[in-house]
Amino acid sequence: MTRTVNPWSVARALLLWVAALTVTLPLLWVALASVKSPAQLNDPGLVLFVPNLDNWARVFEAGILEAAGRSAMVAAVTVAISVVAGSMGAYAISAYKAGGAATRFGILAAQVLPPAVLVFPFLTMAYALRLDSTYIPVIFAHLSFVLPVITWFLIGFFDAVPRSLEEQARVDGFSRFAAFRLVVLPQVLPGIGAAAIFGFTLSWNDMFYGLILAPTQETILPVAIAAFNTFRGVELGAMSAAIIIAVVPVVIASFFIQRRLVQGISGGAVKF
Amino acid sequence: MTFRWAMLAPVLTITGVAVGFPLGYALYLSLTDYRLTSRGAPDFVGLDNYFFVLTDPRMWNAFSNTAIYVIVAVALQTVLGLAIALALQKQKWARDLTRAMLLAPMFITPIAVGLTFRFLLNDQLGAIPAALRTIGISYDFFGPSNALVTLAFIDVWQWTPFMVLLLLAGLESIPRQPLEAARVDGASAWYTFRRVVLPLLTPVLTVAILLRSLDALKVFEYVYATTRGGPGTATETIQYFTYQTGIQFFRLGEASAVAFVLLAIVMTLIVILFRRLQRSAAR
Repeated sequence: MTRTVNPWSVARALLLWVAALTVTLPLLWVALASVKSPAQLNDPGLVLFVPNLDNWARVFEAGILEAAGRSAMVAAVTVAISVVAGSMGAYAISAYKAGGAATRFGILAAQVLPPAVLVFPFLTMAYALRLDSTYIPVIFAHLSFVLPVITWFLIGFFDAVPRSLEEQARVDGFSRFAAFRLVVLPQVLPGIGAAAIFGFTLSWNDMFYGLILAPTQETILPVAIAAFNTFRGVELGAMSAAIIIAVVPVVIASFFIQRRLVQGISGGAVKF
Repeated sequence: MTFRWAMLAPVLTITGVAVGFPLGYALYLSLTDYRLTSRGAPDFVGLDNYFFVLTDPRMWNAFSNTAIYVIVAVALQTVLGLAIALALQKQKWARDLTRAMLLAPMFITPIAVGLTFRFLLNDQLGAIPAALRTIGISYDFFGPSNALVTLAFIDVWQWTPFMVLLLLAGLESIPRQPLEAARVDGASAWYTFRRVVLPLLTPVLTVAILLRSLDALKVFEYVYATTRGGPGTATETIQYFTYQTGIQFFRLGEASAVAFVLLAIVMTLIVILFRRLQRSAAR
């Protein structure tokens, strides 16, 4: 049997190669820049050189790990609250049609509000309640977009759980909440895991709220990265190292959750 | 309280505190002359802020910049995203790795993406202008007439993966029978795509375009990282303009008014698209 070359499959492979290179090259360039000396940074074409770790020492000195730790803390609290409230809410919406289509759609609407609308009230409230040196205003601000996304995403997963499971548990004498917690919830655990990681990256990546609401002296990661761009001129090498520190964990996370994301979205999140 | 409302209560409460209350407070701010710098109680000024911002040419400039940005970015993302999603769906070898790799940009913090491209495209230090110069092309990515399009391209780099994600999910939930029927009837790939796949994909496509447009309207990080609104006001977007008015010039009243004008436009867009979606779903 002779194999004919299908022009469509050639175009398909070509497209994927070009896309993969477009994604990879900028990140490789940043990785290279992070191990270049200031003089080497002036030569953009330079690929072969002796790498040095000065920039990495600089960013660690500048407290990038502490900033990353604060971002992780903010994201963890945001996600913990969102997962508990979101899974309960998503279940009520999916199984009991609580609040009807208005809630199902209204949850999404909360997520599309421009941050510029909400940020000034958060700011004045933070000052009025003397919370401006804490991370509570940032966490609340992050809840305003992480909670809707997690809830919306989980609705799709709960839709896929057969109702008979819960009914069986009720016959066996479980209370409604126990049936939810002990029988239905374990069914959507992979979905919750993916939603939690996705919500974590949303919070981890936000700069706008962090810039305005986080304590100035002890800021969160995206704001710390941006700071290499303004203070003492631009420290391109150190900034590149900081970017790599921010990028690596989320890229690793994305590898593990991409299949669940596709599944969750096709499971109902893009249906209204 | 019934079980379903008890289960929904935490979401509703948190949304009320984190969204409802600030929203109401912002509405109040937009009707006062509130400034971060003044100590006394703010005065109620009615719709003055709205009259002021609606006649401010800088606000309209920010609106038109944002509109151009959103249209260019989302149009490119839709076409590229659809092509890549179709290609990925048929791919068999190293499936998870390719998918994870192609989806990676959407997980990266936008400020990092903005800064990366600021230097990658920089006239003196950037690798891309340097590469273009070796083949005799000179292009200033952040020049007055190019900067806005450059920002839109950064958006395309980061968010085409989101389109791919949604469309891939849509493609995988398309039922197999119509596709098989088309194949049995001997329909060409292009014909099948146009007459079978595309109509079935329309609802997902609409949602994807809607979500991306609403998100692109919020563009802030790329502007903050690259041009800070310049050259002149060529890349000043609404979100950036609001940030400047409120945070840098301390005029919270006016800034909130701009935010509400934006919100009115966003809500109109949602309602129009939602109606169309319902109509296409009913058909």
